[in-house]
Amino acid sequence: MRKHKKSKFRSDKLPVEAFSDIAFLLIIFFILVTSLTKHQGFLTEIPAGQKSEEKQDKIPSVNIKDNILLFEGNGVTIDELRSKLFELKLGEKENDQKRMVTLEATGQASYQNYFASMAAIDAAGGIVTIVKEDTSGGDK
Amino acid sequence: MSRRRGSKKRVVDVPVASMGDIAFLLIIFFMVCSNFMKESAVKLDPPTAKDLETIKETQVSVAISKDEEIFLNGQVVPDAEAIEWGVAALIKDKASQEGRTVVFKCHNEIDKAFFEPVLESISKAGALINASGKDEE
Repeated sequence: MRKHKKSKFRSDKLPVEAFSDIAFLLIIFFILVTSLTKHQGFLTEIPAGQKSEEKQDKIPSVNIKDNILLFEGNGVTIDELRSKLFELKLGEKENDQKRMVTLEATGQASYQNYFASMAAIDAAGGIVTIVKEDTSGGDK
Repeated sequence: MSRRRGSKKRVVDVPVASMGDIAFLLIIFFMVCSNFMKESAVKLDPPTAKDLETIKETQVSVAISKDEEIFLNGQVVPDAEAIEWGVAALIKDKASQEGRTVVFKCHNEIDKAFFEPVLESISKAGALINASGKDEE
């Protein structure tokens, strides 16, 4: 009997008043913790490995030896490399073969120098071609 | 006098019953539209360069961490060869350039001997490389 009396005051409705507050708090939390940073970089297509029997002439070459940048065998800074590559006007050449720039590095070269060189070649309109030493004697 | 009559307090109920629904719909919308970072656990300092552009986040990403671990879509893989197979499998049905693009992130102090085989594997798999870094300017 007592129980029956108590149930008289019980509400059948769910307390939904606080739902919107909870939901908006969740939205604010996710907005605050979400990082909206965008990636920066450059798009490049490195030609898949092809064996070349002999070195082709007139392909500009960038070398990284012990983290020292060389362009056509001469030591340069990254800014000098950029300006020299821009002087070649690679972007204006129609033939992909003529836009190629070879990039060769020694095993100790860091990704920082490699990335900066690739970015410079790409910015000048060139196509990065990785040169890899071949154990059988040729270049790749 | 009539003004005074008008200033009598009126109780106006703002309909708040649907606010919760609106808020939850907003949450669902943002959850569906969000791109979750696949390699948020990968620790690396990106290299810097000039003239970098904003690149799109793609379906496939390859990362090399400070500790010389290779990640494919946030999962550690043993070597560069696994990257070639993995990337080739992920892009095999993709015809568009965007679908065939792989975001490549690498710690700036990693040696060429370690990262170059990975780059080579991505290109062998037939993918375009979006090299990710930080703009100097």
